Amino acid sequence: MSTDSNLNEAEAREQLLDLAADFYDQFADGDVPTMQIPTRTKSNIEYDEDKDVWVYGDRSSTRSAKTVSGAQKLLKATYTIDFLAQQLEEDRSSTLRELYYLSESWDLDEAQFNTQDESNNLIEDLEIVSEVKREDFHMRPEESGAKVMGPLLLREQTRRGDREIHCQDDVGQGGYQIPNNPDTIEFLDNDADFVLCVETGGMRDRLVENGFDDEYDSIVVHLGGQPARATRRLTKRLHDELDLPVVVFTDGDPWSYRIYGSVAYGSIKSAHLSEYLATPEAQFIGIRPADIVEYDLPTDPLSDSDINALESELSDPRFQTEFWEEQIELQLDIGKKSEQQSLASRGLDFVTDTYLPERLDEMGVL
Amino acid sequence: MTSYQSRLGEGEGIADELAESQRSISIAEFFEKNRQMLGFDSGAKALVTAVKEAVDNALDACEEAGITPDIYVEIQEAGDYYRLIVEDNGPGITREQIPNIFGKLLYGSRFHKREQNRGQQGIGISAAVLHSQKTSGKPAKITSRTEQHADAQYFELIVDTDANEPEISVEDTTTWERPHGTRIELEMEANMRARQQLHDYIKHTAVVNPHARIELVEPKEHLKYERTTDQLPDETEEIRPHPHGVEIGTLLTMLESTDSYSVSGFMQGEFTRVGQKTSDDVIANFNDRHYGREMTWYGPQSYEDSVVSTGQRDGDGEAVEMDVARAVQQAVSNKGKDATAEFADAVASAVSETGRVAHGRLEAIVDDHADRIEDDYEKTFGTTVREAAIEAAWGEITADRTPDVYELVDDVTTTRKDDAAVQGIAERIADKFDDDGPNRVTYAALEDYVDRAAEMTEDMDDATFGETARKKIVDALWEVAAPVSDDPPNVGEIADDRDTTSDLLEAMRETDIIAPPTDCLAPITAELVEAGLKKEFDADFFAASTRDASVHGGDPFIVEAGIAYGGDIEHDQAQVMRFANRVPLVYQRGACATTDVVKSINWRNYGLDQPGGSGIPNDAAVVMVHIASTNVPFTSESKDAVANIPEIESEIELAIREAARELKSYLNKRRSMQKRRKKENKLATILPEMAEKLATVTGNERLDIDDSMARIMNNVLVEREVEGDTVRVVVENNDDTNADIDLTDIVTAEPRATNGANVVEMDGEWFVKWQTTVTAGDDAVLEYRIDGDAEFDIAVDGVEDEKLTVNA
Repeated sequence: MSTDSNLNEAEAREQLLDLAADFYDQFADGDVPTMQIPTRTKSNIEYDEDKDVWVYGDRSSTRSAKTVSGAQKLLKATYTIDFLAQQLEEDRSSTLRELYYLSESWDLDEAQFNTQDESNNLIEDLEIVSEVKREDFHMRPEESGAKVMGPLLLREQTRRGDREIHCQDDVGQGGYQIPNNPDTIEFLDNDADFVLCVETGGMRDRLVENGFDDEYDSIVVHLGGQPARATRRLTKRLHDELDLPVVVFTDGDPWSYRIYGSVAYGSIKSAHLSEYLATPEAQFIGIRPADIVEYDLPTDPLSDSDINALESELSDPRFQTEFWEEQIELQLDIGKKSEQQSLASRGLDFVTDTYLPERLDEMGVL
Repeated sequence: MTSYQSRLGEGEGIADELAESQRSISIAEFFEKNRQMLGFDSGAKALVTAVKEAVDNALDACEEAGITPDIYVEIQEAGDYYRLIVEDNGPGITREQIPNIFGKLLYGSRFHKREQNRGQQGIGISAAVLHSQKTSGKPAKITSRTEQHADAQYFELIVDTDANEPEISVEDTTTWERPHGTRIELEMEANMRARQQLHDYIKHTAVVNPHARIELVEPKEHLKYERTTDQLPDETEEIRPHPHGVEIGTLLTMLESTDSYSVSGFMQGEFTRVGQKTSDDVIANFNDRHYGREMTWYGPQSYEDSVVSTGQRDGDGEAVEMDVARAVQQAVSNKGKDATAEFADAVASAVSETGRVAHGRLEAIVDDHADRIEDDYEKTFGTTVREAAIEAAWGEITADRTPDVYELVDDVTTTRKDDAAVQGIAERIADKFDDDGPNRVTYAALEDYVDRAAEMTEDMDDATFGETARKKIVDALWEVAAPVSDDPPNVGEIADDRDTTSDLLEAMRETDIIAPPTDCLAPITAELVEAGLKKEFDADFFAASTRDASVHGGDPFIVEAGIAYGGDIEHDQAQVMRFANRVPLVYQRGACATTDVVKSINWRNYGLDQPGGSGIPNDAAVVMVHIASTNVPFTSESKDAVANIPEIESEIELAIREAARELKSYLNKRRSMQKRRKKENKLATILPEMAEKLATVTGNERLDIDDSMARIMNNVLVEREVEGDTVRVVVENNDDTNADIDLTDIVTAEPRATNGANVVEMDGEWFVKWQTTVTAGDDAVLEYRIDGDAEFDIAVDGVEDEKLTVNA
């Protein structure tokens, strides 16, 4: 996949139309139209040692017009290709949700999407098969990228011209809003020592209020739950282009470990873009199960679904490292989880004055 | 009663007085009072039963005469009564027989026959006459014409119930348009509340009698069922009774009426499946029962070295010979010293060699040697001498029976039994045998001996012999007893004695005899069952099965089943149609073995809806079952329900399952075809749209997607390519099963070099017929040449329409 350079509209359009031409030829030859897509499950992702990320393995599934559901998927793909080609031609963009609603206007009932998951998945399918990134289709996610706060000067290309922004001086308390396509950003200057990705908004606000970004020269990136592609892309670029270490700070539960996983290793659903989105060097700062014990944090008991999720992570190839196996086993053992905010039980400044500096020191970041 | 009892002491007159009112009742009188036993319980049911009896008779009569039946049934309202008219085109009945058949109960030709018929007892139609005269007071009006006569006979008659004789009020001749046949007209108190059952009866009769035309005219409706085949049911052969199927009364009657003298002749002549070997087996079993067996004993023993109290045998052959020889020698006088000595020694040594000797065997030994000595020494050994010798030898042989019995008892009882007890019971059993005489004993007598001996032993020796132990002892004794070689009594003697007859019956039952033949049965055959169902039901699917014959209680039977499904049949509880000997069973559905079996089957396995997984299926189905037998076991005289006989139930189940399996594969196929059609419909909207979109997006010309469609639907794709004068028809099989293709290409120019395809010309068109089998995933090509232009019209057979795409 051509991830290094951005495709221009014409190229993206060309690759989409090639896909349609494939279908056309299959029909013309009297063959059954099919589309091959890698199986997107955790059993079909494998570690790419060259690129240091997790990518899809060899297993693939075939969408074939032999079945009604397969034919319907191909029909929808054809309609979507038509729509995307038109959008690129007109140099416009739309959101995933808009695509879902837009399908309602298509004359054929069978071509319309039933759920937004369906249209989202189809866009991912097309990304994989056409080797064009969603961003290059001019498809945006509904939610925008998260916010950045820290000693960083950048230039963004906007529809209203280029803007130079300093992510502490030129922004409000909320920070700098990451655009949908972070590749439109150019880094100009920075004073940062490291990048700190934070899961929850509450904790981000605490760090900003306590002036952590200033004090430790840190770029604080708000992940906001499962991070959007733009957030992950920007994080990767901060690491790759500015050579900054990246640490991830989340709650101490299995779902949060997956947030770290998608930053560091890529997500299962977008493993085809791992090379473009994942930051394999990102480190996990906490909350570690070991921290729960060490700092005697307030806890909640693990629920059944937590336990299942932890056990499933033990079999997830991305978590098969010594660190994670040890931590997950420990958590299963103690049967407890803690939130980032639970650090407040030691006082509001504990996290910025004690916990983070201690952990960063331990990890050799500071 | 009390008043009689109070006068009992007075001594006389009571019994006489009672006797005055005691008299025999005629069968007619009995059934007059018990009409419900024959199905005339209510006005509604009576009408159905009367129709049924008359129609059954009519069908039997026609079939017997080899006539395809035309039956006409009419029910009219006649004032307070209903008038029932049944007409047939049968052979007619002679003038002499008409009154008996209609006016006398139990008059008929079938009761004594072992043959499959609808009617059997000869009660039905006369019972209908009885019912009609009883309720309306009107006589039955009968018209019958036989083929030879120009005129028809006309009778009006009733049943004289006191005498069970017909009472004729009118006897006349009349003209009748039918060349032959019978018509009966009855008036009776009745109602049409059982209209549904009546219609069912007529309809179902039509189903199982596809060779009959049946018409029903009743006040509200007119039903007509045409015949679908001219093929009459196979004529049934009357069979002789099977030894396992007769009862004592029947056997006595047969013994009295037979021409045979010997039992062997009687068995082979009067019964089916009895030859010399089977007859011998029966006689051997009979002799065992009638004469018993002769107990066998060892010869006398030398007890010098043995302990008498334990009865242990320690004798040797020489001792036996000496004792017997001495006794025989003393018994024979005046025959010369040498002859006597040689005779005595010979008998003694033969006895000794034989081991256990029965009286009959001893007689044979004595006779053999007496004959030989007579020849050698020219002395006469007369009867007296021989008898004396036998008696003397037998005396020695039976002198001490206890050890012989002890040996057997000890063998079969457990080692835990006290030896004294074994000795005790052995002594007591031995004592039961007479001192002289041949010691014949039946199995029953042996049981008695052992029982008594065992009870005595229990009392005296305080040792119990349980039932199992006693049985073992009896069996051991029976085992060593020798069958007698006497001839059985002759037939006359057996017939005179009920007990002897009973012995013979028992002997017949315990002998293994092969099942009766089945040419006495006339099944409808699966083919005609299906035809019958097709006639009456407009269904999508029919299946039928006929089982091989089976036997229960000496009567052979055949079960057939048919299933109709779908079409116009209502989607409701499935109809179960029951038949016995081609007669529909209308009432008592719930009491019938057939219904029970249908309910017990898991119909879901066969693709039918069955709420709860048991009971009558709830689907658009008809299940019919026909049981043909020389004696269908009904639950009652009204013949409404078949009894729950395991052998019959099992055959019913197998027959139904056989037909149901076909239903299952039909339904499976239908469902998969439905699915395929649905899929094709769906794809037929999706794919063309996709193709159109692709053409727009890519800016190419419009697509023809037929070939893709054929491949997608696993279809058989037929395509034509014409190149100059070469025509190629390509058959591509995309399915996963082989396709047998039958293809006809109609061409307007003469085809040449057709590569094995057949060409027929008709009116300037050439029919190129080509048959081929295309294996799964393969294709086949028909190639031929034409001159110039031509038009083509192709027809392809051998593949379901759903699976075929013709693009030629």
